[in-house]
Amino acid sequence: MITSIDALPAGVAARYPYRSRWITTNGWRMHYVDEGPRDAPPVLLLHGNPTWGYLWRDTIPPLLAAGLRVVVPDQIGFGLSEKPHLASAHTLDNHAANLVALLDGLDLERVVFACHDWGGPTGLAALLTRPARAAAVAVMSTWAWRSPSAEFHHRVMPWRTMHAPVLGPYLLGRQAAMPGRGVYLSTVDRQRYEHDGRAAYEAVLSDPDERRLTWLWPRSIPLGLASDIAAERFAWLEAGVPRLHLPATVIWGREDDVFDVDTFAAMWHQWWPHAEGTHLVTGRHFLQEDSGAAIGAILADFALRSTTTGGTR
Amino acid sequence: MTVARVATRPAGHRSVPLLHEPDLGHYDEFRRFLAVTFGLDADPFGPPGVLTVDGRAYELVFTGRSGRPFPAGVEVHALVEGLEPLDVEQADRDLFELAAWLVDGVGAPWSVDALEQTSRIFAIPARP
Repeated sequence: MITSIDALPAGVAARYPYRSRWITTNGWRMHYVDEGPRDAPPVLLLHGNPTWGYLWRDTIPPLLAAGLRVVVPDQIGFGLSEKPHLASAHTLDNHAANLVALLDGLDLERVVFACHDWGGPTGLAALLTRPARAAAVAVMSTWAWRSPSAEFHHRVMPWRTMHAPVLGPYLLGRQAAMPGRGVYLSTVDRQRYEHDGRAAYEAVLSDPDERRLTWLWPRSIPLGLASDIAAERFAWLEAGVPRLHLPATVIWGREDDVFDVDTFAAMWHQWWPHAEGTHLVTGRHFLQEDSGAAIGAILADFALRSTTTGGTR
Repeated sequence: MTVARVATRPAGHRSVPLLHEPDLGHYDEFRRFLAVTFGLDADPFGPPGVLTVDGRAYELVFTGRSGRPFPAGVEVHALVEGLEPLDVEQADRDLFELAAWLVDGVGAPWSVDALEQTSRIFAIPARP
């Protein structure tokens, strides 16, 4: 199991040239990167399934160049963080609470939350738990509600088959469908992904038991079925997130065919009429793979305005 | 390949765990199918569930969890003779057959066709 950046394959480490740091969150070892001036507003970059901090590798430099602090955790179960084998470790509540512990442990203030995929429900749950630590929020290819849900997530073929009982630990666990091929299918420039991305995602999920969260997390997506296990937490998010009056921005992949822009980006604007965007960039669901630097430039401009002038509204 | 249920665990074989499903009830029809097929409602602690794929034996070990209907989960073990090493690639191909047997037994909306298409889309190494 790889637990630090310097233990990664050389080509991967070279593209993520930062110092490994660790913090204990709820008893688990969380890996994170923390770069930039300590007294600058921190931009907290939150990934989802099945990625890790490396997803943000091209987003980080423009933020640092703008003088911002950048904090990039690997969610417990992914990347260089501890990967608990017990399924009960991987509830939405536990993952959100891990981010609360990170916010408290690093005593982060004036935080700009940047949320992608499961970084949305977990990050926004942490934000609602510690609102005084938040300055602004950016969302991209994510959601925080029960409905509307993605048509893709309702399909038996392929999505629900991928994580159904027994099929999940087989297809996504033993057969490793997600970190390699799964991300590949949700990028635009697949040749670039094969060259710069794939090895990084596969290296940190090299064994079947390490890939547990790749099939457990999909089971927490609410679909209005008896199988919904996180609907209560999503209802709580629905009650709290629209009432946030923080500066907000919406960034989306033009080619996103999982969380389509017309439904999901539009929902964020419905919740937050004051939000900037939608900033459309080249990208499918893993838009950072195609437009990481462009996203970094958008976030840097947004974060500077949001944290130094008292916000955009 | 042919999946068959057999009554007894072959002697002189050791168990090699291949996968663990902790929540069969996520889609409860999967749990119900296994409960009915192996008579678990009447006798949850009876003989092991043994299946063969072209004669190679696999054991389904059913697990319970307080507060949930039985079986809450299942472990799938390869039964390997003596101390011979597991043929991992063969075991993964057999797991595909066991998965196909499972979805075929559970029935609509689950299907072998959906499993095969999904496996093609995601380039599953062990797909037929």
